[in-house]
Amino acid sequence: MITFIIRRLIATVFLLIVVSMITFAIFFLIPRLAGQNSYQLATQYVGRNPSRVAVLQIEAKLGLDKPLYVQYGDFLKGIVLGVHYNAGTSVTYCPPPCFGYSFKSQQPVWPQMVSDLPVTISLAIGAAVLWLVGGVAIGIVSALRRGTLFDRFSMGIALAGVSLPIFFTGLLSLALFSYKWPIFPNITFVPFTQNPLLWARNLVLPWVCLAFLYAALYARLTRAGMLETMSEDYIRTARAKGLPERTVIFKHGLRAALTPILTIFGMDLGLLLGGAIITEYTFSLHGLGLFTILAIQNQDLPEILGVTMLAAFFIVIANLVVDVLYAFVDPRVRH
Amino acid sequence: MGLAALGAAAALALAACGGSSGSSSGGGSGSSSSAGFNAAVTSVVNPSTHKGGTLTFGDSSTPDSMDPGNTYYAFMWNLTRLYTMPLMTYKSCPGQCGLQVVPDLATGPGVVGDNGLTWTYHIQPDVKFEDGTTVTSSDVKYAVERTFDRTVLPLGPSYFPLLLAPQTPAYPGPFKDRSKNLMGLQAVQTPNPTTIVFHLAKPFADFNYVVAIPQTAPVPPAKDTGANYQLHPVSTGPYKFQSYQLNKLTTLVPNTYWKASTDPNASQLASKITITWNMNANDIDNRLLAGDLDVDAAGTGVQAAARAKILSSASLKASSDDPISGFLWFMYLNTKVAPMNNLHCRMAVEYAANKTNLQTAYGGPVAGGQIASTVAPPNVVGQKNFDLYESTTKPGGDLAKAKAELKLCGQPNGFSTGIAYRSDRPKEVQAAQALQAALAPAGIKLSLHGYPSGTYYSNFAGVPNYVHAHNLGIETGGWAPDWPDGYGFFDFITAGDTISPAGNTNIEELNDPVVNNLLSKMASTTDAATRNSYTAQIDMQVMKDAAILPEVYAKSLLYRSPNLTNVYVQPYYGMYNYAVLGLK
Repeated sequence: MITFIIRRLIATVFLLIVVSMITFAIFFLIPRLAGQNSYQLATQYVGRNPSRVAVLQIEAKLGLDKPLYVQYGDFLKGIVLGVHYNAGTSVTYCPPPCFGYSFKSQQPVWPQMVSDLPVTISLAIGAAVLWLVGGVAIGIVSALRRGTLFDRFSMGIALAGVSLPIFFTGLLSLALFSYKWPIFPNITFVPFTQNPLLWARNLVLPWVCLAFLYAALYARLTRAGMLETMSEDYIRTARAKGLPERTVIFKHGLRAALTPILTIFGMDLGLLLGGAIITEYTFSLHGLGLFTILAIQNQDLPEILGVTMLAAFFIVIANLVVDVLYAFVDPRVRH
Repeated sequence: MGLAALGAAAALALAACGGSSGSSSGGGSGSSSSAGFNAAVTSVVNPSTHKGGTLTFGDSSTPDSMDPGNTYYAFMWNLTRLYTMPLMTYKSCPGQCGLQVVPDLATGPGVVGDNGLTWTYHIQPDVKFEDGTTVTSSDVKYAVERTFDRTVLPLGPSYFPLLLAPQTPAYPGPFKDRSKNLMGLQAVQTPNPTTIVFHLAKPFADFNYVVAIPQTAPVPPAKDTGANYQLHPVSTGPYKFQSYQLNKLTTLVPNTYWKASTDPNASQLASKITITWNMNANDIDNRLLAGDLDVDAAGTGVQAAARAKILSSASLKASSDDPISGFLWFMYLNTKVAPMNNLHCRMAVEYAANKTNLQTAYGGPVAGGQIASTVAPPNVVGQKNFDLYESTTKPGGDLAKAKAELKLCGQPNGFSTGIAYRSDRPKEVQAAQALQAALAPAGIKLSLHGYPSGTYYSNFAGVPNYVHAHNLGIETGGWAPDWPDGYGFFDFITAGDTISPAGNTNIEELNDPVVNNLLSKMASTTDAATRNSYTAQIDMQVMKDAAILPEVYAKSLLYRSPNLTNVYVQPYYGMYNYAVLGLK
């Protein structure tokens, strides 16, 4: 198992390097191929009506005048060794993993992302718990009561959940429960360590909206998986052996049905940890999603690179965890 | 001159009527009124001296920088008055009164000497920083020195390097070789702790406006942290930084060393101020309407959804204002690209344009603006109304006159040319399409050329060679001045010597000796009345040259929270005056 994990971790590093190369090429190489030179790129970061000298100074400061492979090398070097940065009155050190300095704010990218992480993690984990518990429970009950009113109703709701985007359910929930009836007024992220109650109170609506979208999908997947599993021969055998129905359902039926759920859960959670962009934007939550939007609006290349790498890292790690869990569930994976 | 607000916010606003006297709260001099639509455009709404409460701002964008030396956004210039005192500022009052530049840290306007080459200011002797140390003229000089290093402060205006007398070798700013260059700017002298003298390269009559930019707010050299100073600028204003989470939340608390007697254009009513950045714009509107938020800091008006809600409700409408801002949306009519290099071809475009449709493209009469017939908006000091091309009398366009001009131009059947616009700005796209449709009946065929806004000036419309090579006879644009007089408005967009090979702002490439001469005289004339008389003359000449097709004087619908006190539109900023707001 340890060899398996090490092997995957090494593959993860290579994958992240490939992701960084592709991202770097998209934002640094393609504009050059399209005819944009480094001087023109630098003009975007010098304010208005800049003199030629000022643009050249910024071009040199941001390293845009260097060959692309040098710029990429500097970027990787910063992640591994950190970067020294001249703030004017002093030289400050950005320790690894330093994703560089924002072209706009002139502040290191990594601490900004780290400060956004609690918001995104709170949002993603809370919603994940809701959708996993809610979706799987509904899926199980629907499968066991196939064809009943509950099954039809819950699957109808699930269909609606899959169909309704966050920017609809989010705005609707805000309009009703924050603006019109201020049950959850002034939604602002409060750290869990500062006030757990306020933390939860301010995240209820985003959690519910996000979980509604995903729970619907999980309910349908669980139902389909359970229906298939419960019709297997070994389930009939288990029942014939006289095992209690609870054991048959949860130990033999659900365990098998959960395997594909586990896979997709890893992917979904990894994606969300990289930034629940629409949810954070709708509820004005300052997580990695809003950070990403701002980075793109500002064409802030180090920030875009940083957040892309972090999102890729989360997805890869989440998949790694899933694969490890898989290996526990199904020993064949280890071989 | 440069742009205080291009792409970020409309900068200035009209206040049609003059304010009068008597106000209770800090800085608010003007008549008071009860709430009503546009009440805060000309008068102070809810005047009060009540103290306490947390004043909450929201903003859908982020500041370019909280550092007063490194910001160029109009709303930031408004906000910085909460924690800084530049040498001069704009008088806190509604209406035309608010366009006056008055002393802030200085004791009076600059004293001109040496045939206009020196400007001397005396600063108040008892203004203190937030740590209790007294502000001296050296702190102001240092603040000016900082603006010379664009590698550390790249985002603010660059007037001081342009206007101050040069030295050899060129002054690099106080950050490089600090021991040598700190206080090394020879063009600024501080003969004593309360006097500062600026030596200019050539006379510049608008210098009082230049020192009203936040860049003259004092900075103590020992407390300067360079690029990190934005995280905690040292305050001289009524509030100081308690905390700033970059691009998320700024929290200001009262500066205990601030005195109302030394800063009459600001007040210290709220016990705390929070500014939440990077919020969803619609969320901001809804929170304003729900009373969960007090002010939209961007000051560019509510979004379409809230606008519909406000305009359809009498009570909400009574709590809103729709001022004309100092921002002009217009088309550059290029004077070098054939056949637009012929005056009559440009005049044909002026006549044929359907101004009503252009107004609609920008959002209609409430959110878009008022149909413009002059280049200078009404709140530019010295502006006079005239209408050479029947923009207001025949807003649908005058096809007959357009065709007559085409004959004079030698193109009786019309001609073809290109129009450039920013393709990621829907309003400009619609304006270009509206003009294309309006010119077609006259036989003028426009081909549409959209470009990304981030590189519009640096790579495309602002590059004359590119414009000529691609036959771009018309370019869309918008403009707001850094200060509200004719020179501030016209210089960068009409002076012949501002035409540059890239990042050009005189995109129509006008090089009219009459305009150049008027601008030159304006720059050296210190008498305000004479100087302001040039504004209308320049405006008239540019319109006679048909070098600019004015579209609308921009307007924005602002929601005025009933929780606020001392609310009025500060005409220079085109938004509520943030320096004097309080809470009920």
